[in-house]
Amino acid sequence: MRGKIIIIGMICFLFLLRAPYALAKDPVKVGVISVLSGPLAVVGKGEPDAIKMLIEGYGPLLGEKVELVIKDHAYSPGLAVERAKELYEKDKVDVIIGCPNSAAALGVSDQAAKNKKLFISTDAGTCDLIARNPYTIKWNYNDYMLATTVGLWGAEHLGKRWYTITSDYAWGHDLLKYFTAALKKKGGEHVGNDMVAVGTADYSPYILKAAKANPDVLVLLNVGKDAVNSTKAAVEYGLKKKAKIVHALLFEVDIKGAGIDIFEGDYTAASWNWVAPIPGVRKFADQFYERYGDRPIFMAAGGYSAALQYLEAVKKAGTKEQVPVIKALLNHTFKDIFADPGFVRAEDHLQLAKSYLLKVKKASDVKEKEDYFEIIGSVAAEEANPPVGFFGRKIGGF
Amino acid sequence: MDIQFVFIQLFNGLALGSFYILLSLGLTIIFGMLGVVNFAHGALYMLGAYCGYTLVQVYSGNFWIAVILSPLIVALIGIVMESTLLRKLYDLPHFYNLLLTFGLMIFIEELIQIIYSPMGKPFNTPKELLGSIDLGFMLFPKYRLFILGITLFLAIGIWLFMGKTKLGAIIRAGTDDSEMVDALGIDISKIFTLVFGMGAGLAGLAGVLAAPLQNIFPYMGMGILTETFVVVIIGGMGSIFGSILGGIIVGELITMGVIFWPPMANTLIYIFMAAVLLLRPRGFFGRVKFFE
Amino acid sequence: MGKLRMPSLIKNRWCLVWLIPLFIFLPFLTPHHSLASEMLIFAIFAMGYDILFGYTGLLSFGHAIFFGAGAYSSGLILIKLQAPLLVGLLGGIFVSLVIALVVGFLSIRVKGIYFVMVTLAFCQMFYFIALKWSGLTGGDNGLHGVPRPSIGPIHLDSEIRLYYLVLMLFVLCLFLALRIVRSPFGRALQSLKSNEDRAKSIGFNTNHFKLISFLISAFFGALAGGLYALHLNFVPLETLNIMTSGDVVIMSIIGGIGTLYGPIFGAMLLVYLKNLLSAWTEQWNFIMGILFVTSVLTLRRGILVEVKQRLFHKR
Repeated sequence: MRGKIIIIGMICFLFLLRAPYALAKDPVKVGVISVLSGPLAVVGKGEPDAIKMLIEGYGPLLGEKVELVIKDHAYSPGLAVERAKELYEKDKVDVIIGCPNSAAALGVSDQAAKNKKLFISTDAGTCDLIARNPYTIKWNYNDYMLATTVGLWGAEHLGKRWYTITSDYAWGHDLLKYFTAALKKKGGEHVGNDMVAVGTADYSPYILKAAKANPDVLVLLNVGKDAVNSTKAAVEYGLKKKAKIVHALLFEVDIKGAGIDIFEGDYTAASWNWVAPIPGVRKFADQFYERYGDRPIFMAAGGYSAALQYLEAVKKAGTKEQVPVIKALLNHTFKDIFADPGFVRAEDHLQLAKSYLLKVKKASDVKEKEDYFEIIGSVAAEEANPPVGFFGRKIGGF
Repeated sequence: MDIQFVFIQLFNGLALGSFYILLSLGLTIIFGMLGVVNFAHGALYMLGAYCGYTLVQVYSGNFWIAVILSPLIVALIGIVMESTLLRKLYDLPHFYNLLLTFGLMIFIEELIQIIYSPMGKPFNTPKELLGSIDLGFMLFPKYRLFILGITLFLAIGIWLFMGKTKLGAIIRAGTDDSEMVDALGIDISKIFTLVFGMGAGLAGLAGVLAAPLQNIFPYMGMGILTETFVVVIIGGMGSIFGSILGGIIVGELITMGVIFWPPMANTLIYIFMAAVLLLRPRGFFGRVKFFE
Repeated sequence: MGKLRMPSLIKNRWCLVWLIPLFIFLPFLTPHHSLASEMLIFAIFAMGYDILFGYTGLLSFGHAIFFGAGAYSSGLILIKLQAPLLVGLLGGIFVSLVIALVVGFLSIRVKGIYFVMVTLAFCQMFYFIALKWSGLTGGDNGLHGVPRPSIGPIHLDSEIRLYYLVLMLFVLCLFLALRIVRSPFGRALQSLKSNEDRAKSIGFNTNHFKLISFLISAFFGALAGGLYALHLNFVPLETLNIMTSGDVVIMSIIGGIGTLYGPIFGAMLLVYLKNLLSAWTEQWNFIMGILFVTSVLTLRRGILVEVKQRLFHKR
C-alpha cells in the first residue's frame, strides 16, 4: 500500500515538474494552406516555400523560434475546411495564411471566425473576403483590383472597343462586373461578351464571334488552361494580329507551358512581379531562385509579406493573443519586398498597394530564366481597389 | 446573323465532332467486341498527346512522324493493357473491367503527372498547316481542315475494313457471338487484343491531333471522356455509324449552342441525351443485344 | 454469379468487444476530431450504396447527385428557413428522394453498362446545373454559412459533439440497412442480381424492386450529404462531382461489395488514408489509384472479406 502511494506521488510530482515547461513552450505557430498536389501544384508551391524561407531567417519571436505547419488542400474547398479545422484545433496555429481557390478561402474564413483566430487570405480573389469577419484580412490581390486595373489603364492606353471572353463561374462574373464598371468610367466601349464554361478546350466559336465584333482589345477574363486555349485560338484565327490581348491573370507556368510565342505582346494585371521596381525585390527573387530553382510568383511574395507583417505585428503587440495582434495589423503602413508601401485598411480589413500592368516580352528579349514580363505601367492603390463600404458590409468589433 | 458566320461555326462543329468521332469509334468497337466500357479512353487520348509532345520536343522529331508514331505507341500500350490486365477479368461480369479501366485511368493520369509534371506542355501547329485557306465564302484554318480530312479518311477506312475484309468479318462475327467464333477455331483472344489496340490507337490519334489546339496536361482526357460517353449513348453502343453520327451531332450541338444559347452550350448535349434515353434508349443505331 | 450472400452479424461476437469502444473513442484516436465524423459520414453513404451495387447489382456512377442534393438542400433549409437540425436533414433527404425518383426511373429503363453511363451523364448534368444556378447554390463558391442548430439544449459547435450525433445516426442506419438486406425484400434484390430473368419469371416486378433499391441508396446518400454540410458548415460544389461518385464506388470495392460491413470499412479506411497520406506525399492520388487497381484485380471480394477468410477459415 505504501509503495503505491509513493509511486503515485512521484508520478504526480513528475507531472508538476513538466507543467512549467509545458507552459513555457508556446511558440508562435504559423499555418499555411496551399495547393501542393494535383494539376495546380506548380502554382501553389511557391507560397509555402517563400514563407519557409522567411521563418527560417526570422529568428526568435517572444523568446521562441517561430513554427511553421504547411497543409495541402489539393485545391478542394472541402479539404481546405478540413485542413483549417486541423490547423486551428489540433495544431493550434495562431494564424493561417494562403489558401488559393475562392470557395476554399471563404470556407477557411468562416472557420477562422468560428475559432476566433486570424486568417490572412493571400491567394483567393473573391471580394466576398473583404470585410467578411473580424478574423479575416484580405492580402495581396482581389478581383476588383485586377479587373479595375485592366479597365482603367487599358481604356487609356490600349483602345476604346473592347470584347470580353469570360469564364463562366463566380470568379469570371465578378471580374466582368468590375471590369465593365472601370471601362465605363474611362469612356470605353464594351462591344460584346461571351460566357465560356471552365475547361472548354475549343475556343474557336468564341474567337470567331469576337473577331466579327471588330474590337481594339480582346480581354480574356480567365486563367490557366482556359487562358492558354483561348489565346491559342486567337492566334489560330488571326485575331491576335488585329486586336491587342489582355489577360485578367496570367501565370508564368502557363507561358512556359504553352510557349512564349503564343503570349507575346499580351498584357495583364498583377499585384506584384519579381521585376517590380521595389527595393529589395531583386535580392528576394535571387534568394528564392538559389533555393528553389524558380522565380517567385505574386502568390509567393504576397504570402511572404503577410507572414512577415504578421510576425512584426506580434512583436509590436508583445503577445500572440489574437485581438492585440490583429489590432496591430490594422491601419498599419509597411514596406517590404511585396509592397512599397502597403497599407491595411481597418474598416474592411483590406491590404492595399499599387497594382501593376505587365506586358509579355518577345522570346528574343528574354534574358534570363522566367523573365517573361516587363512592367509598363501601374495604377494607384486607392484607384485600383474598392472604396470603403463598396460591398455594403461592415466589420463588427471583437 | 449572317450566313457566312453560321457556316464557319458549322464547319467548326464538324472539326470538333471529328475528335468525338475518333474517340467514340474506339470506345464503341472496344465495347462491341469485348463488352468493356473503357474508362481509360480519356487517359489513352492524353497519352497520344504526350507521345506527340515527347517525340517532337524531346527527340526533335517532326509533326508528321508524331502523328504516325503516337497512335501506334498508344495502340501498343493498349495491347499490353488488355493482354496483361483486362484479360484476367473476362470471366467476371463486365463491370469489373469497367472498374479496372477506371482505376487505370487514375493510375495513368497520376503517373504522367509524376513523370512530366502537372504543368502544361507546349505543342505547336506544324508550319505546313499554319494559316487559313480562303474557301471563297469563308476563311478556314488549314489545321482544322486537316483534322476533318484525316477523320473522314479513317472513318471510311474502318467502314471498309469492317465490311469488306476477312478480318473485319471476323470482328463483326465476334461482336455478335464471340463463343461461336471461338468454336469455329479462330483464336478469339488475339482478336480481342487487336480490337482493343485499334481502339486505343484511335484515341491516341485523337490526342496527338488535339495537341496543337489545346494545352497538353495530364488531366486533359477527363472532360472529353464524359462527352464521348454521351456521343456513344446517342449514337448507340457498338455501332460504327452511330459513332460517326453521334460525334457530328454532339460537335454541332456544342458549337451551335455557343451561338444560339450561350449559357447552356455545355448542358445542351446532356438534355439531348436525356431525350434520346426517354424516346429511344438504345440510341440511333444501337443494337438491342447491347442492352445487356 | 456467386452464391447468395447474407450478412450475418459478425460471426465472432467478441469482435464487438473492441469494435464498440473503437467507435465510441474514434475522435480521440484519429489525428483530429473532425476526421472521425467524416469517416462515418462516408460510411453511411457507402452503406446505402452497397444496397444498390452489392445487393441489387446496379453500378451507379452518379450517386454524388444524392449526396450533393442532400447536402445543398439541408444546407439551404438550415440557412434560409432557420429550421431545426433534424428538419434540415429530413428536408435534404426528401429533395434527394424526389430527384432519385426521376433519375432512377429514367436510368432503370436501360440495363447493364448503359445504366452506368447514364448515371454518369446525369451526374455531370446536375453538376452543371448547380454550377450555373449560383443564385441558389453559390455556384463554384459553394454554399457558405451552414449553421449547426442545437438539438434542444445540446449545442453542436464542438466537433466531438457533432461526432456523437453522426455516430448515433450511423448506428441507426446500420440497423436499418441490416433489416433491409435480411428481409424478404433484400433477398429478392439478391435474386435479381444473380439472375434477373429468373426473378422476373417467378413474378417479381424487377423494375419496381430496382427503383426502390435506388431510392433506398439515395436516402442514405442524402443523409450523409446533409451531415457533411453540417460538418463543414458549408457545401462545396465538388459534392456533385463525378469523382465523388467514383469515390464511393472505390470505397465499396476496396471494402468488399455485398457485405454492408465491407463498404463501411472501405469508406472509413479510405477517408483516413487520404488524410494520412496527403500529409506525407503529394502523390497520394497515385497511391490510391494503385490500391484500387490492385483491389479490382486481386481482392475481388474486398479487403474485409479476404481478411476474414484468411483469419477465420484457415484453421
